[in-house]
Amino acid sequence: MLKINNLKAGIEDNQILKGINLEIKAGEVHAIMGPNGSGKSTLASVIAGKEEYEVEEGKIDFEGEDLLDLTPEERAHKGVFLSFQYPVEIPGISVSNFIKTSINERRKAAGLEPMPAKELLKKLREKMELLSIDKGYLSRNMNEGFSGGEKKRNEIFQMAMLEPKLAILDETDSGLDIDALRIVANGVNKLRTKDNATIVITHYQRLLDYIIPDFVHVLHNGRIVKSGGKELALELDEKGYDWITKEADKKWA
Amino acid sequence: MGLINNIKSYSETLNLSAEKKDLFNSFLENGFPTTKDEDWKYTSLKKIIANDYSVEETGNDIDATEIAKYSLDFKNQLIFVDGKLISSPEIKGVTISGYSDFESRNNDAIMNLNASLCNNGFSITVDKNTVVEQAIEILFFTTTENNFSQYRNLIIVGDNSEVKFVERIQNLNGAVSFVNYFTRINCGKNTNVEFNKIQNNTSNSILIDNVDVYQENDSTCDVNTLIFGGSFTRNNLNFEQNGTNCESNMNGVSVLDDKQFADNHTFVDHKQAHCRSNELYKGVYLGSSKGVFNGKIMVRPDAQKIDAFQSNNNLLLSEDSTIDSKPQLEIYADDVKCSHGCTIGQLDDEALFYMRSRGIGVEEAKAVLTYAFASEAIDNITVSEVRLVAQKLLAKKLNVDLDFNL
Repeated sequence: MLKINNLKAGIEDNQILKGINLEIKAGEVHAIMGPNGSGKSTLASVIAGKEEYEVEEGKIDFEGEDLLDLTPEERAHKGVFLSFQYPVEIPGISVSNFIKTSINERRKAAGLEPMPAKELLKKLREKMELLSIDKGYLSRNMNEGFSGGEKKRNEIFQMAMLEPKLAILDETDSGLDIDALRIVANGVNKLRTKDNATIVITHYQRLLDYIIPDFVHVLHNGRIVKSGGKELALELDEKGYDWITKEADKKWA
Repeated sequence: MGLINNIKSYSETLNLSAEKKDLFNSFLENGFPTTKDEDWKYTSLKKIIANDYSVEETGNDIDATEIAKYSLDFKNQLIFVDGKLISSPEIKGVTISGYSDFESRNNDAIMNLNASLCNNGFSITVDKNTVVEQAIEILFFTTTENNFSQYRNLIIVGDNSEVKFVERIQNLNGAVSFVNYFTRINCGKNTNVEFNKIQNNTSNSILIDNVDVYQENDSTCDVNTLIFGGSFTRNNLNFEQNGTNCESNMNGVSVLDDKQFADNHTFVDHKQAHCRSNELYKGVYLGSSKGVFNGKIMVRPDAQKIDAFQSNNNLLLSEDSTIDSKPQLEIYADDVKCSHGCTIGQLDDEALFYMRSRGIGVEEAKAVLTYAFASEAIDNITVSEVRLVAQKLLAKKLNVDLDFNL
């Protein structure tokens, strides 16, 4: 589904990603872990198409097409979804209107009519139940005055509504208490199918107790320096990152 | 030729009292203000008054279907056609009549012109201890082409009463029209008054609109001004707080494109202690439109414990659009809280990326963010029908497809 090849990218003259290689197949969950500043969020932003990042080299092949040739909205239309680490507050637009606009813009791009109101409401209700969200929430302004946990839940709610092929969850666990974490992880798990894939970006092992990854990658200084199965996350939790990063620093020095 | 000459000829057909003649002469002496006047520095009437408007009164009939297009269909409705009051409601505790002669303390040239020659308008008196349940809708239609007309209105709200209004001035043809409009609102003790102005006239219309509000103890008055249409709009909104514990609220939205021009001049005169004023004006400028905001807050020596807030936020969304924004604070009391802020900016890139990452195209995302920006001032309108129509007009102007029933 996704094949990242020798991706080098940064902001202005500061190279952050120094040659990322990563392949993700349909049905898989990949965790990307690593210390602060290793480039995790940059990778997520570059895949989603944030324009302030400059790509110097490499390719991001998504189902046969180079994502780097597409605008952020075109990437979303293809089925890429980024759950933001810091979701943006948009006063003046209700959650329901925001989601309705996202869905219908995607349908428009696919040559479809807007989703009938009845169908939309049914789907909203279904997904709200999945994430234990109460009704009043739909008429609240997008992320305005939301707690950290509510914002993250809102990201997963949008993901549930948009049903992406590739979801990137950027530090979705930060700001969540244990109950909210369980609800969000449970939602993510229920949305998993054999046809979609998930990238879970996290600093801590905690989230991976609930969303079990097939692969774990350690990102350090702009490179994936170690990959393994889910047991790698447990090992990192126990031993920290130092044993891997020191070795990597020697190698790339 | 030109408006002043036509006004002069028209004045000769009227049988003016000595007092009105004086007022009219003082208008003629000064003429229309020019950009040399501080209050008109950014706002030029030069081209407008060179136009040869007819000043004579005419009377045409209009179709009920025409009225329905612009009406909120409220039970309480005053309808004017070419200056004549053709329909007025019966409301318990409220007396409504046509034009009544009254003085105004405001005496700039344009107001003198209004006070001396105007003989159209309404007078509404709300008795003491009366709550008018449904808002009163006031519609002014102009059917005559190239016409200059004036209205002069008086609203008196008795102690402990509550009343809300929504007003619209509408041309029924595409031709140029010029309206010089004045409303005085007297808010008695412990009253609650809301006045909503929907300014969405045709693209050739000129409006000078003046609202003077006088407040007594414990009164609250909100004036909401929604500008979407018209080619030239000047709003003067003046609050005078003559009692303690008054609250004056002003919300404004201007969404302009092409060559539209709109100028909001507000003045809050805090004369007594323990009062508040809140002012929120949002402007969105597209095409080669131009906006002016001038917000003056005066706090007199006796007006201690004042809480005054003013905010004017503007989005310039095109190369050629401009805004001149000028907050003015004059504070002569020492125990007051005054804050003001004026911003001019573009849309937030973070929010734009957020929306695009959800599949919302860049144009749609910009429109939705602009909608969101402007709607904050609309949210403060308490008459739900007015709020809804304002949201719809805003969405239509920005070409945003939002669902208001979800």
